[in-house]
Amino acid sequence: MRRSIAAGGLFAAGSLMPVSSTLANQAAGQSTTQAETRVPATIVGGKVVQPRRELPVLHKTSILVVGGGPAGTAAAFSAKRLGVDVTLVERYGYFGGLATGGLVLGIFPLYDRGNKQVIFGIGEELMKKLDVLKYGIIDRNKAPIYPTVDAEAFKYVLADMLLDSGITAYLDCWGVDAIVDAKGAVRGAVFESKSGRQAILADIVIDASGDGDIYAAAGAAFEKVKTNIGLISRIGNIDEVDMAPGRGSEDPNKPLIGKPEEGRPSKGRVNDFGGHAGNSTPAPHVNWLNMKGPVGDALDVADLTELELKHRIGTWGNVEKLRQKPGNEQVYLTETAPQLGVRLSRLLDGVKKLTVNEIRNGATFKDVIGYSGAYANAPAFQIPYGSLVPAKVENVLAAGRCISAEFEVADITRLIPVCWVTGQAAGLAAALCIQDKCKPRNVNVAKLQNLLHQQGAYLG
Amino acid sequence: MTFLRRVPRRVIQLTCFVGAVVLVWPLLPWAIAPRFFQQLSPFVALASSIAARSIGVGAILALIVAVVSSFKKRWFCLYLCPTGFLLENTSRVGLRKIRWWSKCPPVGRYVAILTLAGAVAGYPVLLWMDPLCIFSSPFAMNRATNPISVILVCLGLGVLVGATFVFGMAWCVHICPLSGLQDMLFSMRKVLWTRLTSRASSHKSPDARRAFFAGAGGALLALGARRIGAARYRKSDTLLRPPGAVPEDRFAGLCIRCNNCVHACPSKIIRPDTGHEGGLAGFGAPIIRFDRDYKYCLETCNACTQVCPTGALTPLGLQEKNKYIIGEALVDNNVCLTALGKKECDACEHACPYDAVKITWDEAQYNAYPVVNDKCVGCGACEVVCPTSPVRAIRVWTQKPA
Repeated sequence: MRRSIAAGGLFAAGSLMPVSSTLANQAAGQSTTQAETRVPATIVGGKVVQPRRELPVLHKTSILVVGGGPAGTAAAFSAKRLGVDVTLVERYGYFGGLATGGLVLGIFPLYDRGNKQVIFGIGEELMKKLDVLKYGIIDRNKAPIYPTVDAEAFKYVLADMLLDSGITAYLDCWGVDAIVDAKGAVRGAVFESKSGRQAILADIVIDASGDGDIYAAAGAAFEKVKTNIGLISRIGNIDEVDMAPGRGSEDPNKPLIGKPEEGRPSKGRVNDFGGHAGNSTPAPHVNWLNMKGPVGDALDVADLTELELKHRIGTWGNVEKLRQKPGNEQVYLTETAPQLGVRLSRLLDGVKKLTVNEIRNGATFKDVIGYSGAYANAPAFQIPYGSLVPAKVENVLAAGRCISAEFEVADITRLIPVCWVTGQAAGLAAALCIQDKCKPRNVNVAKLQNLLHQQGAYLG
Repeated sequence: MTFLRRVPRRVIQLTCFVGAVVLVWPLLPWAIAPRFFQQLSPFVALASSIAARSIGVGAILALIVAVVSSFKKRWFCLYLCPTGFLLENTSRVGLRKIRWWSKCPPVGRYVAILTLAGAVAGYPVLLWMDPLCIFSSPFAMNRATNPISVILVCLGLGVLVGATFVFGMAWCVHICPLSGLQDMLFSMRKVLWTRLTSRASSHKSPDARRAFFAGAGGALLALGARRIGAARYRKSDTLLRPPGAVPEDRFAGLCIRCNNCVHACPSKIIRPDTGHEGGLAGFGAPIIRFDRDYKYCLETCNACTQVCPTGALTPLGLQEKNKYIIGEALVDNNVCLTALGKKECDACEHACPYDAVKITWDEAQYNAYPVVNDKCVGCGACEVVCPTSPVRAIRVWTQKPA
């Protein structure tokens, strides 16, 4: 194999061996008799108790990125380019988070109200890599229509870039706890995987877990919010209906798919899918079908379980309904997303909480690290570095949907391209912390902005 | 008055003309200033007070004008009226050849009687013929969105200037209801004066028969117009009036097409109706259109209700205005991006200043779509952010009684 995994490895924890050798040395059917050495949980006085134990240190690194979604991957790639040692840990077996595993294939909001793209940097690089792939991405540079990616193409691009980057990565590895020193500063994180409970020590931790699991565990203050949780799916053979002209177009010249009913809609009528559903994807004859879902608690396993089950049943039913429409007889359910569409759960109480008033009134920040595109009645707005930094806890930065913003703002900053923006900024800020030996809250903002510029980010 | 005689009349006229422009432009920082311009007219004040069954403080201005005019014949026309000034100068450079109209009886006073009788029936039929309103109308030109509305707002004054160029001062002398009313006030004062001083009168009062027919005609027209207006509103889906509008059967009558509301609106959503919505009777009256990007009836503004000189738009405080129902937002779920699963979109919910639109999960349908509740006032905030095209999934429609 041409490429090797630099420090550490996907499978050979702690070793410097290339991945190919690790696998090649294993023969099928080999069996070893082994007893678990760890002490299991016990019952003491009717209560389940986990005995105090030492955790094996899986790895030591400068920057630990927890979560390999859009924010986490952007953070890891940008930090690694400064020559810093970076480790990226992902709970699922692929990178891309909700953008791939959640089937959130629409890349928006990318543009300001003048249809000018305001998000570049790592995100633009990823899209450029998708550009050259067949069936990788559609509707690039067609503002106000947003691009749509293919989930598998995106997983491929991220895996490919990761192997090239020299980042240490662990997949199928779930960040469950923070490691905090006596002063309350974060020193790493604890993970569960098939290898058991292990620790990774780090100088700076970037919490790109989406739910803010690590900063919450470290004791950072946060706001817990509940919102709709859906499940996106892809449906096939959908192009037998007239899907050609546009994709829920915001472009006045491109009519909406199907014919809207003339005249006054009746009050309280519900959607019957009207013979069309979802939006085109790069894959021919395949649409992705968004789902709002009911309000649920993304931090409650009972809610998540219920929704995982109900959504798959509901989606199947909706596709059956869709099939009853003339012209849709051959429509089938390609897949439901592996990951639930959790929108928001924890919102950090950061050095700066980005407010609705600020984004509506076009507030500008000295520590701007990027823009979000225009969305609904909010014009394109600046995101300050302060919203990535916890108000109190040291050595940790938030990136992605769990940053410090009011609910209505977070409802925009949670979207894929904005996660790229906060991820890239968090990665570079963490790298500056290592280089300048400072805390995240003391990062030289001018230097950070300069680095963002160098990496192609848009700061206005 | 003696000091006025020493100042040339044209200097006073010019001063008043400039003052009028300053008021209606409006160049004053005082937002409700334009209203006082049309309220100077006793014709507007009297007819609108009768029709609206209420008298505003602004009527004091008109009362002063009326009292002075009843002592000094056509004093308002000669000194204050900016339309009069404009037409007088037009006639100076005009053709000045066609003079047959001067032999006809003046109709201005009958226009006034007809309108006042209509006002008693709730619909001041020809109130829009007031010269001050005709003067202020073109100032809404900067709000015009298409050539038709440019023509529309300039139509009244354009016709008067053109007619005066050809026919001379026919309008001012013979047709203008404001001058007709002033003439009546003057003669009524004379009659009263004569009775009090028992001196013989040589002054001509309006022909009683003509006055009766004008009055009866006005009342009939008013009743007819009210029926047509009400019927039109019942049938319409898209007729939206500015906040504070009186019921539709009386609106087109009370509205004098001064366009104060049109240019008071910071969102530029109030437009003169080109006849699409209100028909012939509603021609030029204000309607609301949510066709500019992100412009809706702001929850921080009640300007239009404050500038109406006739009470066609009732003056509303900000809180009252925010409860006034312009229309109702309705959703077409076969267009809505969320209902179709086409995109993560909750633009309408985010945009609504009144918490009236909620993207609601429907367990039975296993789908979500926007649901509008009773808090909706039809401000249009949702409509203008709705990203679908060419038809917006959520639109404000004429409110129908339940």
